[in-house]
Formats: sequence, structure tokens, C-alpha cells
Amino acid sequence: MIRSFRFTSLLSAAKPLRSFACSSSPAIEPPQCSSSSSISLRITHPKTPLFLRAPSHAAPLSEVWKWHGWAKDLASSVDDNSSPEDEDSLDSILLLRELKWLIEDSIEASDHHHPVIITGTETPRGDDGEKKSVKLRASLEELYDLWRQRIEKRRPFQYVVGCEHWRDLVLCVEEGVLIPRPETELVVDMVEEVVRGDEWFKRGVWADLGTGSGAIAIGVARVLGGCGRVIATDLSHVAIAVAGNNVRRYGLEGMVEVREGSWFEPLKDVEGKLVGLVSNPPYIPSDDIPGLQAEVGRHEPRLALDGGVDGTDSLLHLCDGASRMLTSGGFFAFETNGEKQSKMIVDYMTSNLKDSFSGVKIVSDFAGIGRFVTGFRL
Amino acid sequence: MAIMAVAALFHASRFPLIARRTFPSSVSYCPLTLLSNGFTYRLQSIICFSSSDGGGVSESDMVVTEAQGPNFLKYSDEELMKQCKFETFRVSGPGGQHRNKRDSAVRLKHLPTGIVSQAVEDRSQHKNRASALNRLRTLLAIKVRNKVDIEGYSPPPELLQILPPKSTVRSSSSGSQIGPNNPKFVPGMQALLDVISASDGSIADSAKLLGLSTGGLSRLILSHDGLRMAVNSMRAAKGMKPLK
Ligand SMILES: C[S@@+](CC[C@H](N)C(=O)[O-])C[C@H]1O[C@@H](n2cnc3c(N)ncnc32)[C@H](O)[C@@H]1O
Repeated sequence: MIRSFRFTSLLSAAKPLRSFACSSSPAIEPPQCSSSSSISLRITHPKTPLFLRAPSHAAPLSEVWKWHGWAKDLASSVDDNSSPEDEDSLDSILLLRELKWLIEDSIEASDHHHPVIITGTETPRGDDGEKKSVKLRASLEELYDLWRQRIEKRRPFQYVVGCEHWRDLVLCVEEGVLIPRPETELVVDMVEEVVRGDEWFKRGVWADLGTGSGAIAIGVARVLGGCGRVIATDLSHVAIAVAGNNVRRYGLEGMVEVREGSWFEPLKDVEGKLVGLVSNPPYIPSDDIPGLQAEVGRHEPRLALDGGVDGTDSLLHLCDGASRMLTSGGFFAFETNGEKQSKMIVDYMTSNLKDSFSGVKIVSDFAGIGRFVTGFRL
Repeated sequence: MAIMAVAALFHASRFPLIARRTFPSSVSYCPLTLLSNGFTYRLQSIICFSSSDGGGVSESDMVVTEAQGPNFLKYSDEELMKQCKFETFRVSGPGGQHRNKRDSAVRLKHLPTGIVSQAVEDRSQHKNRASALNRLRTLLAIKVRNKVDIEGYSPPPELLQILPPKSTVRSSSSGSQIGPNNPKFVPGMQALLDVISASDGSIADSAKLLGLSTGGLSRLILSHDGLRMAVNSMRAAKGMKPLK
């Protein structure tokens, strides 16, 4: 699945991008609704999420209801053959909530046809349903197809709609980029706390390594305010393109610089100068990859997840690099796989690197799992 | 606000998850004395009313506490947050990169009063936290009664703000009327409930104190579902008929 999606995005980017409407033919792959008529030389062209597409489709309300009823039934049917205890099973309550969000993203809200109408919470008067037409950001055929992908292929909801709501941001995501997790929102909170305590952190350069969608970098830049600077790096082409696009969407081109390359390699010019270093590197032990929840294991990039034999390959590399890259007093925060890895990292930093760091500690996530390691360069 | 209003229509699909999975659907308290921040709260009566309303109040059991202490609504979001235990609904499992489940639900337990508020309908944890906090303010307004002295009563500014222009206790400095969709309605609603509680649930007596006709006050009460239910449960406890 992943391969075929990547293939499509390469294909459509390889041919000159003429403007073409989202076709009304049943979409097997999500169509690229690029309104741009300019020829792009980029290899990877970020996809437009549903909610940002033009509402260029129309369908009778009654047909939209039919789709909604079908989608609801499909979502409700998943409970029959799965046990709720199983981490990997679909949950119809969560699916119904996602369906509501899919509607929010794909139907143009207006006084006449608010998304609420679609879900049937407001009953129409008379035979309105037949006559009224609803403006959509994707054709009905595509909506059928997208929902089928969600349930039958276990395509993550965020890839289906092309975005993820994270903190107060709405970030574009697509196959090839990790969907930012709720836990990671806390990394930005920790930075905010440090910055609030000392204005010095606002004036220097920060780095977000393995930035993916750009989530942490954008969150940090907004916390730093006008004068901050963040360098965001990633090894993945797709991530670089998507992060760049998200940075632009939030008007942060002047503050966040996206650089392609492996970990510290693109940061030679700021060695020993960083005031902050944050990262959520791949940390899942290789052996755990095959057993991951289908949405994750089958659809998200392995490069973003696989942390080597015990999952700490990248983390240890980051610890070593942090001592070189940070200036005295600089702050770091890394996300880890949980309790065990956090302890390992703390041990490593307080023994092998004890002359480099102070205040190294574990910070828990919302679920009480020791999720992050933070500290300061001596 | 618009998002919340839309979300409120989805109660039915939202809360069963929480009830089913994570904690008992009702929270009730025995009369007890709680010590917190050096203040004493007497939990006076336990009144139940049914769930589901437009104001985001969704507890099936209502606990009305009589507080002699701080007015919690005066605290900033941050201060209020510090008084709360913050939880998410993660069922189990390693979380982080392992997992893609859109259950960014949050639950706030306000430790001084035991009031629990939750939000799951938003798409990010961040927003759910903000929604839960707003909902907590509404719950505090509805559930926590502050003592007021009816003799020589004069309504506080936050209450004057929500009264209709017809009220004779209003003055030009009270500003224009704040409606039930405005977050500033909540502190006014709390002060209003305090007056009605001190008047033993009598709308006529309360209306007099607020310079309104009984009908005028009834209309105000009926404009907010949470407010209406709180008043009606207060009246039910005294054997009075509900407002409709
Ligand atoms: C777990 S994801 C985190 C993405 C994003 N920071 C977030 O929290 O949503 C790890 C990221 O590290 C990137 N990555 C993997 N190996 C890398 C390397 N050698 N150098 C730089 N980035 C790398 C992956 O492409 C992926 O985007």
C-alpha cells in the first residue's frame, strides 16, 4: 500500500503539473488537486489535504445522506469481529468520530448546508433533501473510496484527510511522513517552560532533528516568538517537502529553516552554538515493528519508527551529538519509547557523558509513562 | 465557540466511550469535610438530574456543594489547572510512536471539589484540554454554591452583565447584556444560582432582588440548558415544580 501511494505521488509530480479538476471518476488513489498551473521542479510535491481543497464538487443532499448512512454502517460493523481489548482492532466509536471529522473536512460549511445537517442531527423540512445540493471538497465517489480505505485497508485517518490536528496547529501529513502523536505535544510545552524561565533561550538557535511534518519545529518557533530561529532537519525527502509546506502555511519561513540530511550532518555551521535541541527520533525496537497496529506498521514510514535492535540507536547518537552541538546552558529534550529507554538514556548521560550535562531527568507523558529525557549542557 | 456548539450535538456518540471503558458513569460523594488550601467545604446535599444539555454539562449525577472559600471561577486557567488532576483515557499499551488511536480525550478532576470534567470531541489533546477547562468552569458555576446574604443584597457586576436591560438594578455601567454563548456568562450564572439558592428556589423572590419580573427571570433561566437544569434540580429538592 505504502509503495503504491508513494509511486502515485512521484508519478503525478514527474509530469508537468497542469491544473486539472478533481475528476469525477471513482478515485482509486486520492487525486492530486493541485490548482497551481506552474511547473514544479520539486521531486516531491506535498499533497493538498481535503480541508484546503476548493469545494468544487456538488451532490444532492439525499446522496450525501446515503453515503453517510453507508459509512456509518461500515463503521459500526467492525465491532462484530474484533475484541475491544485488542490494541490492533478497529473501534466503531472512534471510527464514528472520525467520520464526523471527515465530514467537517470535506463539506463546505455554509448557512444552508452545515456539516451537522449531513449527520442527520437536523432533519430536513419537506423534500428538501432531494433538491438541496451540497458543496464538497471531494467527489462522492472519492468519499466512498476514502472511507473504504480507512476501514478495509486500515489507512490512517490522518492520511485519509491529509492533516492532523496537533496542539493548536493543523498540520498537513501524507504517506511518507510520521503522523505527529499527542504525546509529542508535550515537547513544545517543555520548551515553553524553559523559555518562560529565561529569555536567553529566545535569542539563540534551536534545532529539531527528524522533524517529520515539522510539528515540533513549528510549535517551538511559535513559542519563541518573533526573534527565534529553528533549524529542522530530516533524512526523508517527503518529510522535508511536507515540513517546508507546513512552515510556509504558518508563515514561519523567516524563523524555521528546513534542511535535508542525517541528524547533525546539516548543522555543521552551528556546532557548539545551539541553545536548544529537541527530537522525537525513531525509537521502536526493530523486532516490534511487525507487530505494530496496522495503521502504523502498514502505512507509516519505517524510517520514522525503527530505532534499531533495542530502539536506542538514534537516541544514543543524539546524546553524543548534543554535547557537541549545544552551547553551555543549552537545553535538550528527547522523546523515548517509555520507562525503560528513558532510564537507559539517563544512565548513559549521567555516566558516559557526565561532564557534559546537568539536571538530566525523566518527564512523564499524560498517561504517566516516563516518556521524555531532558537536561542542560554544562 | 462555534466548534463547541457543533460538538455539543454529538453527545450521544461521545460519552458512551468514556462510560464504557474508563470509569463509572456517575460520581457521587458522601457528606464530608474536605480540607484544601486551608478552606473548608461543606458538601451539603446531593441532587441528581439527568444528563445531556447544550451547555456541555454531561455528568449524570450532580453534586451541589456549599463552599465557604474561594470563588473558583475567579482563578485563571493556569491556576485552575493546577488544582486539577489531569488524565487521559489511554486504555493501556506503550503509546507514542506505537500507536495511532484518535482518543486524545482528557479528563480533569478538580481536587478541591471532586468535580470531573472531560472532553473528547476535539481533534487535538490541546483543544480537548481547553474544552475540558471551559466545561469545568460551567460545572463549577452550576455545582458550587457560594453563600450570599439576602438582606441588603446587591448583585455583583458579573451578574448584572447577564441580566436583561429591563432590570431595574442595572445601570449604564453594567454594559450590554452578555448572552449564554459568551464565556463571561458563566460567572454571572454562578452568582444567579447563588441568589436563587439563597431564596430557597423561589423565582419570584429572586426576581425581586434582581429588579426583574418573574417572567423576565424565567426567560433568562431558560436561555441556558445547564442553568435551567440546575435551577430545576434545586427546586425539585424543595418539592417545587420545574420551570419549563
Ligand atoms: C518518529 S519520527 C518524528 C517526526 C516528528 N518530529 C514528530 O514528532 O512527529 C522520526 C523522524 O526522524 C527522521 N529520521 C530518521 N532517520 C534520520 C536520520 N538519520 N537523520 C535525520 N532524520 C532521520 C524520520 O524521517 C522521521 O521523520
